[in-house]
Amino acid sequence: MPAENAVLIIVIPLISAFLVPLIGRWKRHFSYFCTIGALATVSLISTSTLLKTIKEGNIGYHMGGWAPPFGIELAIDPLNAMMLVLVSVISLLVAVYSYRSVDQELSDRMVYFYTLYLLQVTGFAGILITGDLFNLYVFLEIASLSGYALIAVGENGAPLACFRYIIMGTIGASFYLLGVGYIYMVTGSLNMADVHQLLPALYDSKVIAAALAFILTGLGIKMALFPLHIWLPDAYTKAPSASSALIAPLMTKISLYVMIRVLFYVFDISILENLFPISRMMVWAGFAAICGGAIMAMAQTDFKRMLCYILVAEVGYIVGGLGLANAVAFKGAILHMVNDAMMTAGLFTVAGIIMYKIRHRDLSDFKGLFQTMPLTMCAFVACALSIIGIPPTCGFFSKWYLIQGGILAMQWPFVGALIASSLINVFLFFRIMEMGYSFRPSHKRPMAINTTETGINEAPMSMVIPTLGIAASVILMGLYNQVIVNRIIAFAVPMG
Amino acid sequence: MKFLGIIVVVITGALLVYTTGDFPSWSDPASPASTHVSPHYIEKGMHETAAPNIVTAVLADYRGFDTLFETTVVFCAGVVCFFLLRIPGRSPFTECQYRHKATGITVRVKHDRKMSGSFGEFERIDTLWTPHDLIIQTACRILIPFIQLFALYVIAHGHHSPGGGFQGGVILGASIILLAISHDLRTALDRLGEKAHAILCSVGVLVYAGTGAVCMVLGFNFLDYGALARILHVDPVMARSHGILVVEVGVGLAVMAALIWIYSNVSSRGNYDEGL
Repeated sequence: MPAENAVLIIVIPLISAFLVPLIGRWKRHFSYFCTIGALATVSLISTSTLLKTIKEGNIGYHMGGWAPPFGIELAIDPLNAMMLVLVSVISLLVAVYSYRSVDQELSDRMVYFYTLYLLQVTGFAGILITGDLFNLYVFLEIASLSGYALIAVGENGAPLACFRYIIMGTIGASFYLLGVGYIYMVTGSLNMADVHQLLPALYDSKVIAAALAFILTGLGIKMALFPLHIWLPDAYTKAPSASSALIAPLMTKISLYVMIRVLFYVFDISILENLFPISRMMVWAGFAAICGGAIMAMAQTDFKRMLCYILVAEVGYIVGGLGLANAVAFKGAILHMVNDAMMTAGLFTVAGIIMYKIRHRDLSDFKGLFQTMPLTMCAFVACALSIIGIPPTCGFFSKWYLIQGGILAMQWPFVGALIASSLINVFLFFRIMEMGYSFRPSHKRPMAINTTETGINEAPMSMVIPTLGIAASVILMGLYNQVIVNRIIAFAVPMG
Repeated sequence: MKFLGIIVVVITGALLVYTTGDFPSWSDPASPASTHVSPHYIEKGMHETAAPNIVTAVLADYRGFDTLFETTVVFCAGVVCFFLLRIPGRSPFTECQYRHKATGITVRVKHDRKMSGSFGEFERIDTLWTPHDLIIQTACRILIPFIQLFALYVIAHGHHSPGGGFQGGVILGASIILLAISHDLRTALDRLGEKAHAILCSVGVLVYAGTGAVCMVLGFNFLDYGALARILHVDPVMARSHGILVVEVGVGLAVMAALIWIYSNVSSRGNYDEGL
């Protein structure tokens, strides 16, 4: 029963989110095990769903037994099945990792932290799985609302940063909703496949152009596309470690996925060429994001903040890659979306571990860390090499596709920006590695008290193992990139 | 910067006005929105769901999945308010005020754990709002039961006439909030405590999601209330109508609890002691 399984991907985290506060009343840490159990099941189901879609084709599930367009449909194809696996695996690993960090930062609110965590994952999974434009908005709302709360409980200044995020995020979501309203006005339907059928006759309508503009702007805010990114660095820097490790890698990628879904599956590839120069604009937006993000990243001394600006640049890679609108770049953009989620998750978990052990995360706090925390830094190096784009880590392959696509489309400034930002990443990360290897820790640390003779003082295993898991998958995804591209992404490419 | 903002807004507004040219005309029966899916709901809604109120049929059945998550959003809002605002532990007030019921003399007591509630001939009053409000209290005491009765009617009759779980839940929540406003927060919390907020809110959404899950266990699609026919011993169409009622009850519970939860946290700044 493949279709039965698909709906469980949403239902399991949803129902566990309601059970967690009830169970948590009884024993607090059961909420943690309940979360892990739910997410592990979801990971298994989404993996089996991915295998099914590859073998047997797309899956459609009619909610409540009503056929679309009258009811809501869950539509699964290899693209969103792959994203579902990605989201469920990352959220599982981060959930395992989160226990110690949540215990340290928010011990009295743990139960509701996990409730919101599960709602957040439900929101992500729902956005990916749904085949209905309005339903997507509802899930976007859940993902955003729980995300705001998970961010706002962070360190000093987090509520204010989050307030700015709420204002911007709500404007973004409203724009999306307005766009969907415009589409409904002229088509009378909300089902993505149905709208896709109805739209081509209406492409010269001004309403459709306005709808697309609204949706793209709204999603641009949600994905922090430069210069709409101003909410991101503050919000994600000040969030608790566990929240930023979940939200920072995934929220931007999910918005990018929605953009792909709307541009290529609700609208059509032809609209990129005919309506107005969207593809050209996307390439330039990507160019601006890469340059802006990379330059701002160089100016940061706070490790997490630097990661946030790198995230902004990475969004630029993908938006630009989509704008290039050829098959190679499209493959590269999707592969990069997956890879980037994995590698930034790795880096944010590393940031969380350092925050947990040292209570600081300035770049100067990396001094001597290779000696004291070898396993963590091992994971850090793998993810950092991947962000820079060095084989065999996964970041290399997606960048390779993107650069190839850029050359095919003759978009030289974009190609230049890609290469330049890789060089900037070399500078950013080798600086940290150099500090980690060659300097002694400069100021006193709480951990210095119980250092053993070897000087190794690793973080708890429940934090280190998931981080190493992410780092290992960064390398594995690089080694098996051909499998991912040919077996999964190739089906998603809309342009021959 | 402000000037730049105004320019951007004016240009965007002008473009939006420009796009209205291609809108279907106002209340045009031939517009796509009224010819594509709506006729199905209007013509077949009653036969397929046995709910005379088409809006409820669309909301809770055809697009019930959306409504499940709208309810989840309400739950989420309640949890978020609690998560961010609640300050666990004792009240931050160092002294409380008590009024002697018979004479109206007010005494201030340095904070003491034993004296945190009302006791004997004294009643606890808020420090910020001290006067007697006998008329308001009595009027509200008489009104509240009727408000709640009406709320139950709105929930239970939602699939026959305008109304439903959201509206009924809001009215129910408002009745408790009225109690908190007319008396004080502690009186309302005595009736419906903090634990009850959390539990009712979770249970409310769980009723909705659980109904969907039961349909799945019975071998139908998620939220396909037709499956309930086997349990309720009615025909599948009538089962849909009953299914709508069940989920409306869940929605009502969740919305009520979430509203009171949010009110208690916001009005008392998270300490659940003195509030509006």
